[in-house]
Amino acid sequence: MILIVLLLIVLALLGAPLFAIIAASAMLGFYYADIDLSVVAIEVYRIAQMPALLALPLFTFAGYLLGESQAPKRLVQITDALLGWMPGGLALVSLTACAFFTAFTGASGVTIIALGALLYPALKQAGYPDNFSLGLVTTSGSLGLLFAPSLPLILYGVIAQQLNLPKQLTIDDLFIAGILPGLLMVVMLTAWSFWVNRAARAPILAFSARKVISAVRASIWELPIPFVVLGGIYGGYFAVSEAAAVTALYVLVVEVFIYREVSLQRLPKVMRESMVMVGAILIILGVSLASTNYLIDIGVPEKLFALIKQYVSSKLTFLMLLNIFLLVLGAMLDIFSALVIMVPLLVPVALGYGIDPVHLGMIFLANMQLGYFTPPVGMNLFIASYRFEKPVMQLYIATLPFFFILLAAVLIITYWPGLSLGLLQ
Amino acid sequence: MGQDDDTGVSRHLRLMARIVDGILVALLAFMIGLAALQILMRNLFHSGFVTGEPLLRSLVLWVGMLGAIVASRTDKHISIDVLTRLLPSKAKAAVRVVIDLFVSVVCVLLAYHAGRLVASDYEAGTLAFANVPAWMVELILPFAFGVIALRYIFLCVAAVNRFIAYTRRA
Repeated sequence: MILIVLLLIVLALLGAPLFAIIAASAMLGFYYADIDLSVVAIEVYRIAQMPALLALPLFTFAGYLLGESQAPKRLVQITDALLGWMPGGLALVSLTACAFFTAFTGASGVTIIALGALLYPALKQAGYPDNFSLGLVTTSGSLGLLFAPSLPLILYGVIAQQLNLPKQLTIDDLFIAGILPGLLMVVMLTAWSFWVNRAARAPILAFSARKVISAVRASIWELPIPFVVLGGIYGGYFAVSEAAAVTALYVLVVEVFIYREVSLQRLPKVMRESMVMVGAILIILGVSLASTNYLIDIGVPEKLFALIKQYVSSKLTFLMLLNIFLLVLGAMLDIFSALVIMVPLLVPVALGYGIDPVHLGMIFLANMQLGYFTPPVGMNLFIASYRFEKPVMQLYIATLPFFFILLAAVLIITYWPGLSLGLLQ
Repeated sequence: MGQDDDTGVSRHLRLMARIVDGILVALLAFMIGLAALQILMRNLFHSGFVTGEPLLRSLVLWVGMLGAIVASRTDKHISIDVLTRLLPSKAKAAVRVVIDLFVSVVCVLLAYHAGRLVASDYEAGTLAFANVPAWMVELILPFAFGVIALRYIFLCVAAVNRFIAYTRRA
């Protein structure tokens, strides 16, 4: 048994698709427990019984379509018109635009590809040092993860809802909880950017109403999207999946028929590509439902809690260990598999230490956000290296200061539950 | 494969790929339309199809599994890509043979047991929602896992060929 588990771990590290690893371990578990293996199929079928999951394909499609159009350019243009005149404005523009785009497109690295390509040359032209610009753009690629309607937030909610929690959490709770921690990250990065570039003062431009008007005019059709989605969700008019449906249809009409930047011939390809990501996530979610079911059946969360409790008695120590564990996890695994595999195990243990599942969600995702550019294997480091044609080594160095800033933010989020839970009360 | 790309197996594979793509795109388009219509109906007429909601949920499963098939085509499944970067080409090919074989076996097993689920729900006459039988919704599972198994068998054969080529060159 132990030998087989080791074998599976080796296969996973050698690059075997994670869904196959998880499926194999679930089947092995059920086989040894003498349970009919068709239970695995029954668990995968449960994907068809989770209403909130509808948001996943719809938001992913909308995000891919926005990325294929000129929307990123217009987003930078309008953010620049609104914020670019301030001292250090372009750094603020980059952070804001990226956070926005990531929240709406689900943190798949597409932010670096779509926005980084516009922002990196602009930052360099404005006189920011090369490494600072690279680091800023790479870091911003995962900023915005904590803002509605980001897919990792939704997925955390979906998974947590599967566990029989004493107090059921809603995805709306998570959307509200993410506001302040997300803002904290943006504010800290902005402050750092101002401080670093305080000497190299770019000329302060005058705020130009004309620039704003022309930017607004260019993106007049896309401007309603955030208002409708965020207003609809926070105002309680829409369920998450409904907001996703409105967004998908609206983006489709605007980009294909009004701006005509994605042709009807290209549309099927964009649809297919976006569903590759959805399929890759859902198949892992499906088989994980089975493996989680097995682990809960044999009482792993309780045993895990009892084991940790033996060595760790205080909540504070537990949180510290949790941070270290999640940082390592985030550097190894992508955010979606990490969520699906670890959340069912972590939530019960954290509950045992009196940590609110909503707060745990913020801790988890904030750590994972850092994992996107934690050396040596953070995904965004490679995406940025490829996109900007820079050696990965330079990206390690360029992102390091940003890493420490966000690490500080993650620690604040972890040890100050009120930041996440305050708005909920 | 290679020069006889337009005959036999690979032609069937490509035809299969186009069919899967077609269904995937059609279902996603239908899903977007239906989801939007649901909201419209609810807000304008304070009603909706009762079946709309479970139908949409089933579509998520279908679209997801079809997407997973497409992901298998180019091996775009989520994996940990740490060690393989460091391996020389020949070792990489050998590792791929083992991995692709492993994924094929797992998927054949998944397809088989999903097939048994479909069969038992067919016999029991279980309903998924309204009067849609459960086996119809579940059908995507054996189909998708079967096609994914097939894909990885072909990827495995390709990896074996690569390995042989490297061995000959050495």
